[in-house]
Amino acid sequence: MSDPSPSPDEGSGPAWVPTRALGRTVLLTGLLLVLGVALGRVDLVLLAAPFAIGAAVGLRRMPRSAPEVTIDSGDEYVVEGGRVDAALTVSNPDVIAYDLVVVRTRTSSWLRLEQSDRPFAITVPVDGWAAVELPGEALRWGRHDLGPVAARVAACGGLLACRPVVTSPLGVRVYPETEPFAAVEAMPAAAGLVGNHRSRRPGEGGELAGVRPFAPGDRLRRIDWRVSLRTRDLHVAATLSDRDAEVLLLLDVLGEAGTSGGVRGSASVLDTTVRAAAAIAEHYLKGGDRVSLMEFGAGSRRLRAATGRRQYLTVLEWLLDVRPDPGDEMPVDTVFGAHHVSPDALVVVLTPLLDPRAADMLAQLTQVGRYTVAVDTLPTGAAPPQRGEWTELATRLWRIERENVLGRLREHGVPVVSWAGTGSLDLVLQDVARLASAPRGR
Amino acid sequence: MRKTLDQWIERARRVLDRATLVPFLVRCGIAVAFVLAVSVAWPVELIAGRFALPLYAVALWPAIAPRGRGATITVLLVVAGWIADTTWFDQRVALWRVLGIAALVYIGHTLTALAAALPYDAMVNLDVVTTWIGRALAVVLISSVLTVIALGLTSALAGGAFVLATLVGLAGAVGATMLLARLLRRGDVG
Repeated sequence: MSDPSPSPDEGSGPAWVPTRALGRTVLLTGLLLVLGVALGRVDLVLLAAPFAIGAAVGLRRMPRSAPEVTIDSGDEYVVEGGRVDAALTVSNPDVIAYDLVVVRTRTSSWLRLEQSDRPFAITVPVDGWAAVELPGEALRWGRHDLGPVAARVAACGGLLACRPVVTSPLGVRVYPETEPFAAVEAMPAAAGLVGNHRSRRPGEGGELAGVRPFAPGDRLRRIDWRVSLRTRDLHVAATLSDRDAEVLLLLDVLGEAGTSGGVRGSASVLDTTVRAAAAIAEHYLKGGDRVSLMEFGAGSRRLRAATGRRQYLTVLEWLLDVRPDPGDEMPVDTVFGAHHVSPDALVVVLTPLLDPRAADMLAQLTQVGRYTVAVDTLPTGAAPPQRGEWTELATRLWRIERENVLGRLREHGVPVVSWAGTGSLDLVLQDVARLASAPRGR
Repeated sequence: MRKTLDQWIERARRVLDRATLVPFLVRCGIAVAFVLAVSVAWPVELIAGRFALPLYAVALWPAIAPRGRGATITVLLVVAGWIADTTWFDQRVALWRVLGIAALVYIGHTLTALAAALPYDAMVNLDVVTTWIGRALAVVLISSVLTVIALGLTSALAGGAFVLATLVGLAGAVGATMLLARLLRRGDVG
C-alpha cells in the first residue's frame, strides 16, 4: 500500500478554495437583493432566497482537512497473467462529508484494470473512507506503476473544492511466468564433489555405472557378492560420483526486438529472455545447483551464485529490472570477460544474436574452454519495420547473414538452440557434456 | 481549416464514445431546468417570436459548458426576462411563476455546480447524485415556503410590498455579508 497522500497545499495557499458556483451564488444573491430593494420588488428578493438558503445550508460547517488517498495493489506477489486487486481509498478526516470526490488514476499499460482509464465519482462520509475497486490482471513481467492517483473533492454543495490531492505511484512487481523447463541431461562439469547430478566421472555416488573387478582401494561395501560368487572373482559395483554445478545465465540485453504482447500475446526478445531465464533458474535451483545471472550489456548487472529458494526469489526480483541496455562501449573487452565465468560453470547465454558483440562473446567463451550453450531468443518472424521498397530485401540479407553467424558459431563448437520450453537444452547439453568428458587442452 | 474541423469532429466523436450516462443526465437536467426557467420568465410574445432561438441557445449553454460563466449569464437572462415581463408587458406577479422560476433557476445552478465537478466520462455512484438532488430539493422546499409566506404577507399588507422588500432585502444583505466575512476569515486561517 502506498503512503497516504501528502497535503495538497504545500506552499500554494489554502487546500479548500471557493468554486465558481460560490461566486455565482454571492453575485446573484447580492444582485437580486439590490434590485429587489431598489425596485421595491419582493419577488426579486424571493428569487434570491434559494441561493441564500442553499449557501447557508452548504456552508454551515466548513471543511478543514484535505482528504487522504492511498493505493493498494492487493497481492504482494503477482505473476504475469495473474489477478491484480487494486484499490484506491479516499479517507475523510474532516468534520463534514465530502459530497463529491473525483478520483482518477493512471496505470501502466501492462496492468489491465477495469475502467482504470475513467474517473470515479464517489461520496465519502464524515470521518470515514470509501474505496474504488480496480480488479484486473497483470499482462507482463516487470515493475509497473499503479498511479499516480489524483483526487479532487467538492464539499458544501459544490461551493468549496479542495485542490487536487496527488499520491505518488505504487510500484507493482509482476514476476515472469516460468515456462515449463526440464533438462534431464547431465551437467557437463561440476564444481563440487557432492550434489544432485550424476557426473560422467566414476566415484562415490548413488548412480550405478557398472560392475568391474575389485582393485586396491575399493571399499568392501562396494563388493557385488552375487557377481563375485558367479565369477569366483571379487567384483565391485562402480558408481558415478554425485556433483553439484554452477549455472551462469548470461542475458544479452544489448537490444530489444519484436513486439511484446504480454503473457498471452507475442513475445519480444526480452520477454523470451526473462521467462527462459526464470524457468532455467527455477529448474537448476530446485535441483540444488548454484545459479548466477549476469547481463551482457553496458551496465553488466550481476547476481552472485547461490542456491535454494531464497536465490530463486532473488533471481525473480533481479529479472524485473532487465531493460534493453545497448551502450556504445564494447562490453566484451571492457566489462565482460571470460575471467568473470567460473571454469566449471555451465554458461547459458540467452541472446537474439542481433549484435555482433554477442557472437564475439560466445566465440570467446568457447575459445577459453567454458561450457557454453546459446539459446536463441529472437522471435519467429521478427523483422525490421517497413521503411521503403528495399526493406524486404535488406531483411532477407540480414537473415542470411544471421544464419551465417549461427553456422560459424556451431563450427566453433557453440551449440545454439531456439527456446522452446521443456527439454529445450537437452540435446545441446548432451553435446556439451560429451565435449566436457574429453580431455581439455587449456 | 479542414484539419481543425477534422480534429474537432474527432474530438466530439471521442467524447461521445466515452461519455457515461449519469453525467449526461445531469447535463440534461441543467438544460431542462434553464429552458423551462426561460420559458416561464420571458414574455410569451418574445419566446414565441424570433428571440426564441438565441434565448434557448443561451439556456442550453451551461449544459454544454458547465465550467464556464454560462450559468451566471443564463440566470441573469432569466431575471432580465422576468423583470421585462412584469414591467413592460404588465404581467402580474403570479405565485406559481415566482415559485417556478426560483426553483428552476436554483436547480439549474446547483446541477451546473455538480456537472462542473463531474467529468463527462466518470463512473458515478448513484448516491452522489441522489444526495445532491435531495439537498437541492430541500432548499427549494424551504425557499418555496418562504416565498408563499412572503407573497401572502405582501397581499395581506396591501401595498406594503416596498417595506417588506426592504426588510427582507436588508436581512438578506446582512446574511450575505456574514457569509462573505466568514469565508474571508477562513481564507486567512487556511
